[in-house]
Amino acid sequence: MVESSGGDRGAEEERPPYGADVIDTPEKMNGLHSQAISPRDKKRECSPVNDDGGQNHSFGLLSCAKSPCGASLAESYDELRHQQNCPSLTVQIDAMTLQNGNEGDICQDSLDVKLDSKLHTVESRTTEKGGKFTNGKLFKGLTEASVDTDTTSASLTTDVNSGSPKHQVHPTPTETQLASVSHDGDEPSSAGSHQSSQASILSPSDRQAEDHSLGEQVETKGHPSDNERASRPHSLRTISNNSTHFLSCDSTPLSPDDEVSFPRTGLQQDLTFMDVSLNSRNTYEISRRQSAPDNIPGVLSVVASDQALRQKKHGISELFGRSLFSRKQKDTSMLSQSAPGWKLFGKVPLRENTPKDSRTIQQDSNQGNLTSVSTPNLLSTGEYEAKTGKVTQLPSQSTQGRRKNLDFEPLSTTALILEDRPANLPAKSEEEAQRHRQEYDEMVAEAKKRELKEAQKKKRQMKERFKQEESIANAMVIWNNEILPNWESMRGTRKVRELWWQGLPPNVRGKVWSLAIGNELNITPELYEIFLSRAKERWRSFRDTGCETEAEADSGASLADRESSLDLIKLDISRTFPSLFIFQKGGPYHDVLHSVLGAYTCYRPDVGYVQGMSFIAAVLILNLEEADAFIAFANLLNKPCQMAFFRVDHDLMLKYFAAFEVFFEENLPRLFKHFQSYNLTPDLYLIDWIFTLYSKSLPLDVACRVWDVFCRDGEEYLFRTGLGILRLYEEVLLQMDFIHIAQFLSRLPDDLVPDRLFSSIAAIQMISGNRKWSQVFSSLIKEKEMDKNNSPSLKSS
Amino acid sequence: MEAIWLYQFRLIVIGDSTVGKSCLIRRFTEGRFAQVSDPTVGVDFFSRLVEIEPGKRIKLQIWDTAGQERFRSITRAYYRNSVGGLLLFDITNRRSFQNVHEWLEEARSHVQPHSIVFLLVGHKCDLEPQRQVSRQEAEKLAAAYGMRYVETSARDAINVEKAFTELTRDIFELVKRGDITIQEGWEGVKSGFVPNVVHSSEEVTKSDRRCLC
Repeated sequence: MVESSGGDRGAEEERPPYGADVIDTPEKMNGLHSQAISPRDKKRECSPVNDDGGQNHSFGLLSCAKSPCGASLAESYDELRHQQNCPSLTVQIDAMTLQNGNEGDICQDSLDVKLDSKLHTVESRTTEKGGKFTNGKLFKGLTEASVDTDTTSASLTTDVNSGSPKHQVHPTPTETQLASVSHDGDEPSSAGSHQSSQASILSPSDRQAEDHSLGEQVETKGHPSDNERASRPHSLRTISNNSTHFLSCDSTPLSPDDEVSFPRTGLQQDLTFMDVSLNSRNTYEISRRQSAPDNIPGVLSVVASDQALRQKKHGISELFGRSLFSRKQKDTSMLSQSAPGWKLFGKVPLRENTPKDSRTIQQDSNQGNLTSVSTPNLLSTGEYEAKTGKVTQLPSQSTQGRRKNLDFEPLSTTALILEDRPANLPAKSEEEAQRHRQEYDEMVAEAKKRELKEAQKKKRQMKERFKQEESIANAMVIWNNEILPNWESMRGTRKVRELWWQGLPPNVRGKVWSLAIGNELNITPELYEIFLSRAKERWRSFRDTGCETEAEADSGASLADRESSLDLIKLDISRTFPSLFIFQKGGPYHDVLHSVLGAYTCYRPDVGYVQGMSFIAAVLILNLEEADAFIAFANLLNKPCQMAFFRVDHDLMLKYFAAFEVFFEENLPRLFKHFQSYNLTPDLYLIDWIFTLYSKSLPLDVACRVWDVFCRDGEEYLFRTGLGILRLYEEVLLQMDFIHIAQFLSRLPDDLVPDRLFSSIAAIQMISGNRKWSQVFSSLIKEKEMDKNNSPSLKSS
Repeated sequence: MEAIWLYQFRLIVIGDSTVGKSCLIRRFTEGRFAQVSDPTVGVDFFSRLVEIEPGKRIKLQIWDTAGQERFRSITRAYYRNSVGGLLLFDITNRRSFQNVHEWLEEARSHVQPHSIVFLLVGHKCDLEPQRQVSRQEAEKLAAAYGMRYVETSARDAINVEKAFTELTRDIFELVKRGDITIQEGWEGVKSGFVPNVVHSSEEVTKSDRRCLC
């Protein structure tokens, strides 16, 4: 194995990492369904079934097959761009993943999804940071509020999904749906359902365990007519298990008493802002938003999810509140009508009915009142004040285009309220009162400054985002019209490679991955069906008899192994990207994932199922049709690096780690020494990264971009990415000790900025002493072959 | 200045996949139960301080391993540097109990020349109706191997603290008695920042002396 891998690696240098082989035509895919494939007909080897002649031909057909969805995406995208007064964010509701824990099932006419009645927590390994998305952290915070499903389910209609294409496998329909939802101004119900679906997506929390851990730093939203609205605590507090609250997009509690009319655009905007990439399989959309204030919403959920983290990020979440507020500013006219929409989200959660709160609600800038002003919380309260008080003063601002109004007047100056000391306490002395007044003034000035800065920052981010949008739109056109039709000739050109580095536009991503990964194994959709039926047969026989049937006796793996594989697959599926609610039982892709993994274990019983595979299959499923996903999956796992890792070829893995360390030392000598001093070997962090191709540790959208370039550059890029991550966080890591480094690397921060990461990766030079990765690796292989002494850089794990 | 922690113990948590290792650890270190969380790929890291006696704190560095058999060749490298281990099985999964002896053999053969103090943990004890392993037989097995046995539930927070603190106490006793000693190059037990010893700045930066972590 070692030898052949070495040889392969040498050869690989000369040709592009992934061959773009013929892709089966859609006809074949259709045809296979009508075949009756009996398990007895199983073929063990891959028979080249495709008889398609020209690649262009098959590709052309393939692209046609894909185009309906692609077109709709482009349409919706254009629609988006025309809607200048709406942010370019599209809300990605994955309607399929609506989770309505309280009420049981939500019936989706077009999707027929049955949902578990059990709420899933969003907590995962990365729970403190939220889900897979960079914005998942926002998601996280919101999800820990339970949703009042009474109102949500009642108003939840399927309008949001009406007319949506059959959702089965293409990621973009949701965007289409959403685009139509978000830009159609006159559908309160769909907006509502959209919102509530957001809400319900956001809602799951583990009822049993969350008493102390849930809490939110919440920006209370002003409402002109509702002085009773409790200001949410600015410190974190728990949300009790069974109270259902819906948090508005900026996590302010919503009053159940609000009227019905729903401020489509305003709220929408906020929701899009907040929930932007929660369920998006439009990975580009996610990454697009990353550059914008998305980081800020993310912080909220980080704050919300974990006490310790909350305290750390206290200041940031405050920032978040503020920036949200500034956004909200633009919509104040909408806000004032926004009460209606809130109703959809249920009751206001526990009110913190401290006397102070209710008093501070009043726009009372009577300077004679003093209060203890030492905590930052007050500032947030102040802003809340500002909102309530100032709403009426802001019509001029709201009339400006929402998107364009990036300047705003800081309201904290009028918003901070100095209150009277409660009557039952001794009055303050004059000096004390004076001092307090001074402090108050200082605080107000501070707050003002901060808000201005925030506004400027937001402005910049918005500009960035618009720029990115444009470039993505342009790229999409180029990919579809110029590159894909001429794949073989264009793929190696510098222009294409550069464009590729920028990140594949979502609707071409699957195609390009397929083409780049290729199909050396010559798997056809029919073959997939064959293995899938074998898998199903096996599952059935396990279930029924618990015995090994004759048909499976020759598969090479022990019965116990296969059974436990089966159980493991089932369990792992439910643990795959739990925050998306796509792969869990009842979710839209649960069966697809199960099929792909099951078929693979039949196709490669020598490899079987290994934990980590579910992530890879899942990401492929998110971007490709089922059969294509299987083909890509099988071919991807067949690459030397993946094979080495998934078969846990320990020696070979050590070679990879050793090669990695050569370039580690070359690029980051200080950090390298630091790690060495702790004996922090690469296996402790690389295994997770390589097994899952970063899909577990990086936010999903970022991981997809990594995959993009991995498809272009091959396995070397995986290790380069690892070094890029280390480089990005080098300063931080240098301060940490063993356990913290180890923990940090297995749970990378949610607020990772994709562009910064990719710049960092680009800065990594994969050259060591004039040798490139493949050369270094080959020489390590040869060393072992020749039984040389270990080189200094060869570390054993 | 009081010692932050007296010792740091490295614990490894092993057992079949899906028995609930990560959940148990998370319950212990983060105080919560995650109904759904990512499968452990490779190894995960956690830490927590426990106070086994008033004023005596031990820092636990917990290594959460992937349970799938395939990963054993990776995880076996980690036994050597662990002083303690929790060996988990799922009381509702008979096979996971049957595999306990395999895990032990695996650990014992790869920990030489050191030794690990193990605790046998029957997890998911909240699922009494689905129990497939009786308490008696588990206790018997534990006794045969010279280990304690504890039944835990991460979901209901049953005996989670007890499991970790008992194991820690056992190890601490052995350290006090001198049966387990701190050794250069062995990560199992490390000494904390001890107040009475005057540290020069040079000493403080020694790799095996850790202050706050």
